[in-house]
Amino acid sequence: MAIIERPAPGTTVPALIPAAPAITPTRTFGALRRPVATKGWKSWLFTVDHKKLGLMYGATALFFFIVGGLEAVLIRFQLAAPEGKVLNADLYNQMFTMHATTMVFLFVMPMAAGFANYFIPLQIGARDVAFPRINAFGFWCLLAGGIVVNLSWFLGGAADGGWFMYAPNSGPVFSPSNGVDFWAFGLQIAGIASLTGAINLIVTVLNMRAPGMTLMKMPIFTWMMTVVQFLLLFAVPVITVALFLLSFQRSFGAQFFDVAAGADPLLWQHLFWIFGHPEVYILVLPSFGIISEVLPVFSRKPLFGYPFVVFSGAAIGFVGWGVWAHHMFASGLGPVSVAVFSLATMAIAVPTGVKIINWTLTMWGGKLVFTTAMKFAVGLIVLFTIGGLSGVTHSVAPSDTQQTDTYYIVAHFHYVLFGGAIFGLFSGFYYWWPKMFGKLLNEQLGSWNFWLMVIGMNMTFGPMHILGLQGQPRRMYQWTEARAGEGFFNLAFWNLVASIGSVILTLGILLFLINIVVTARSKVRAPLDPWNARSLEWMTSNPPKEHNFDSIPHVHHLDEFFHRKYEEDSATHTMREVATAEQVLAELERNADEHIHMPSPSYWPLVLAVGLPVVSLGVIYSIPVAIVGGVIILYAMYGWALEPSVAAESDFDEPSSNGHNGHAVGTSHG
Amino acid sequence: MATMVTQWELPMAETATHDTHATSTGLSNVKLGMWLFLGSECLLFGGLISTYMLYRGRVSDGPTPEQIYDIPFTSVSSFVLLMSSLTMVLAVAAAHKRDDRGTNLWLTITALLGATFVGGQVYEFTAFYNEGLGFTTSLFGSSFYTLTGFHGVHVTVGIIMLLAMVAINKRSRVPGSKSETVEMIGLYWHFVDIVWIIIFTLVYLIPV
Amino acid sequence: MASRLSVTQVKARQVLQRSLLAIGSLAVLGSCATNAPQDTWQPKGPNAKMIDDLQQPVFAVAGIIGIIVSAVVAYAIWRYKDRGQPIPEQTHGKPALEITLTVIPALILAVVGVFTFRVIFDLARTDDTQLVINVTGQQWWWEYDYPVQNEWGITQPIISSGQLVIPAGVKVLLRETSRDVIHSYWIPALNGKRDAVPGRVHTLRLEADQPGIYAGQCTEFCGLSHANMRMEAVALSPADFATWVANQQATYQAPAADSLAKQGEEVFLNQCVRCHQVNGLKRADGTLAIAAPDENVWSGAAPNLTKFMTRNTFAGAMFDLLRDACRDDVWKADSAEFGTKYLAGVDESCLNVSDLRAWLRNAPEVKPMYANPALLADTNGKYRGMPNLGLSESDIDKLVAYLLTLK
Repeated sequence: MAIIERPAPGTTVPALIPAAPAITPTRTFGALRRPVATKGWKSWLFTVDHKKLGLMYGATALFFFIVGGLEAVLIRFQLAAPEGKVLNADLYNQMFTMHATTMVFLFVMPMAAGFANYFIPLQIGARDVAFPRINAFGFWCLLAGGIVVNLSWFLGGAADGGWFMYAPNSGPVFSPSNGVDFWAFGLQIAGIASLTGAINLIVTVLNMRAPGMTLMKMPIFTWMMTVVQFLLLFAVPVITVALFLLSFQRSFGAQFFDVAAGADPLLWQHLFWIFGHPEVYILVLPSFGIISEVLPVFSRKPLFGYPFVVFSGAAIGFVGWGVWAHHMFASGLGPVSVAVFSLATMAIAVPTGVKIINWTLTMWGGKLVFTTAMKFAVGLIVLFTIGGLSGVTHSVAPSDTQQTDTYYIVAHFHYVLFGGAIFGLFSGFYYWWPKMFGKLLNEQLGSWNFWLMVIGMNMTFGPMHILGLQGQPRRMYQWTEARAGEGFFNLAFWNLVASIGSVILTLGILLFLINIVVTARSKVRAPLDPWNARSLEWMTSNPPKEHNFDSIPHVHHLDEFFHRKYEEDSATHTMREVATAEQVLAELERNADEHIHMPSPSYWPLVLAVGLPVVSLGVIYSIPVAIVGGVIILYAMYGWALEPSVAAESDFDEPSSNGHNGHAVGTSHG
Repeated sequence: MATMVTQWELPMAETATHDTHATSTGLSNVKLGMWLFLGSECLLFGGLISTYMLYRGRVSDGPTPEQIYDIPFTSVSSFVLLMSSLTMVLAVAAAHKRDDRGTNLWLTITALLGATFVGGQVYEFTAFYNEGLGFTTSLFGSSFYTLTGFHGVHVTVGIIMLLAMVAINKRSRVPGSKSETVEMIGLYWHFVDIVWIIIFTLVYLIPV
Repeated sequence: MASRLSVTQVKARQVLQRSLLAIGSLAVLGSCATNAPQDTWQPKGPNAKMIDDLQQPVFAVAGIIGIIVSAVVAYAIWRYKDRGQPIPEQTHGKPALEITLTVIPALILAVVGVFTFRVIFDLARTDDTQLVINVTGQQWWWEYDYPVQNEWGITQPIISSGQLVIPAGVKVLLRETSRDVIHSYWIPALNGKRDAVPGRVHTLRLEADQPGIYAGQCTEFCGLSHANMRMEAVALSPADFATWVANQQATYQAPAADSLAKQGEEVFLNQCVRCHQVNGLKRADGTLAIAAPDENVWSGAAPNLTKFMTRNTFAGAMFDLLRDACRDDVWKADSAEFGTKYLAGVDESCLNVSDLRAWLRNAPEVKPMYANPALLADTNGKYRGMPNLGLSESDIDKLVAYLLTLK
């Protein structure tokens, strides 16, 4: 529950207390009084709680995952047989554009952002992020952006230029519907979410760690997410520029990509891929972080070579900036550029390989427990390795000129993004579900979920290696019998296999959704520490209290929680349990802080975010509407500026006399 | 859009645990946040400047940079903007000394200098337009107006921040630490000034 | 300590079997793939061969590493799964092992890098060119323009489309550009792909060892009919190439008076010549008929139809001009006979009448082309692709008869 927390000196924090009576704010600062709802939809709409926002990110991302997945299935239906008639050319082009856009910007990124929001403060022993209201604003921007991008389906057709939206094909003549305009504005708005999120999380990680938690004692998920936030911080402004140029051209007649006026179409490609390649690591590093948490927990030993994993992550983050042109080997860059980027791309394979080695060695000599989370993590190691190795074949630029823009590269990046990013996210779902909802996802359904996804994923994307090497280009709404060939490697057979695989994959994901429903209906509560976990987020109740920790733990070890539960027997060098999770938690409660000031809910993040799509629609359809949007934005800024983030005692009426003497501290929320 | 919003809110934001314990780095959250934001802004202007440098010679049938730039005029307005950094420093110093009157005075002067610069830019745009360089005239036109326009918007946002600071300072309604907020705006203002120095050099002074 | 969950027993080895299978099939591919016409592992010329020689060892090494990693993971799963053993010692890593395992892949990649470097520069050479052809992409077809090169008998520019004709065993240099959006030229058997970018000229080396026909496909997404933008490269022996060149430059032969074809010529002059050039075609008043595609087509050009029936395809190589049996006869001819069969061109008995008539009847119906009249306002009334001309069936009869004379 979102709370307006009133400090009451002299009382300790009770572990359980009934909800406090409604508190009325007496002051308006700029425009409106503060929202006060602690229950119901209003408590979600105006919340600034990082955990609620994390869940909202997750729910939004899951919705768009389903949308993007259905788009993918339609694509596979269309390509199951030659001369497919499920979609026409126009619709097919919209479909693959929106599939990629949705999966990249509206599923993987926000899902990772959701995990980051929820777990970074918990993992570093903080009570919230550095800027809670900006955090809320970021979420609403993401949602607004997702809505704007998808609105185009109902307003004359979605964007149809591919997610890479190469100029000049994205220009007003070549893409006459408004789809590209919606796409550009939607991504611009979603970009605000990424940028504000990046600043917020970096400050949180750098400034708000629990005492004793040095950077090299930070949980690895937090580390990887921090690298991701730095990538976002510097990548988002580049795509912002590119999208502005595109929108200015389409909406105001600027000439940036007008070849007749002398424009160079490669400008867009450079801007896009300077953003786009770090973006690949933005997508995959969160999952690397997740399985680097999961593997040690279920191997019962620390991550092998923690500093190597940290520095290889950082190295990937750095070198990732120097390889963008490997997406342009066929663009005609000239041999010198091609050679340099080819070598740089090979170089980035090394730190990536380090990660695979470390994960494998983490399992080595362990005591492996194959929960669903662990299965997804191990699945990631193998599938990502395949994707990584096909990536190495792409780094050989001459070879890449044969395989790029064929299904071989579709296979490659789906092994990286599905086998890598999405398997990691699923590992995270199963691992952290009890922490977020207090209930364990059903393991039996989870096992089916995993195996169907593994089989479906390999059946869908495995054959694409063959299709690509047999010369089937991507982004074709139809393929023909005449170019399909005969024999074992004919395109017809493997296209059909891939399409059947996509159905199996869909079933696997459907089982996950069923699992969510089954779990939600179940009455069984999860134990406090179901996995025998290692890091700080598990030193809280399930789900955590509003203020996360009753007292901020002092950190002495990497894997602090594990070391509070176990000690090494100096004689035998074996680990023996010295405290249960419940005892560790009780210890924190005993030392509970007296004053816990939590940030207060606010209308302004939502109001501000609502202004942005209004401006976008205004620019596309009618400028006066944009002015209305501008007024909304100014109004929200005014209200925001004058409202302190944390409500002070003087902001409220005296509590009614029959009320409780204590103060409201959230105990749990569902 | 992204830029405007964030610049605006960062100085006003306050931390969740602001009073519970000191930060790990010693830098306040807002200050660190502003630094990160400015880092991001470097890439934004980097992209815009690159675009301009690529296209500055591509004038189609429109006027060339040499034909329309009025270097003495722009030099004067650049000097005005540069001076505003000085007054900003004085405002921050006053804020540290808890000298409210001084703070407000120097903030107002900074805002006025900034407004003079923006006024000069509006005049310059009008003059260029009358000389035949529209937004859609040529690649040079599109990229010139986009780059300098983005910078102008940044200055304008800065002016709004300065005046808002003066207003809420007068009503003693500053959320968070006052000198910190002034410093924050100062960081932003100096950044925008530095970017202008780069733009002025690359766009106006270096010949095509 | 034991997990508090009822953990399903995992057969994780299956993961590995699957992935081994995937990697294994990749490796097998190299040895026996002879299937689709655009197979990237079947080089038919020195440039493609250079790429293939470079990539085969890379694929092999990648496959082996994949198998090793999978095997190690599989072993670890089997060896270390929880059988009730105590919680292991909390070791944090072995830097020496770590560094070794980092250096080994770095060294492998360094070796690959050296060879890659060489091939990149070899493939960029232009100084050994023997024949230059300008290739221009346009939504959704390619134009081939042979500039005057007397040593090849090309004394006036030859402008063609649909099929690129080159002499076998000769180092050809394509100079690529585009009239609208970015396209990419790719004949996998002869070389990797190279984008055709408007406002820029990119070069691509092409050389075929043997006479034959080699399939390709536009590989940069270029809008609605991207999937239908195909190409075919035809390699002829130098002697056959000379014959082809001579024929392309032969003077125009008007159809016999009173023939159906003659009436077709009239239809052509009334309708088609607005965009499509036929070199030497004269109007009734004796003046040369000059097409003005730039006034009618947004991207500025339409295929030159002068020797239409010497090509085997039309509409951007989306359709064959030969019916299936005749097409197979040419495609499957061995290299000795190929030239004769190809140079025979298309006659009435081999003509793919149904597709050609459907095209003439209503082109946008058989090939997606932004034909919506409402969009013409965006393009100053110019068409994007061939519009529906509203020809009558008898006009189509006449036109087909006329087109058959263009060879």
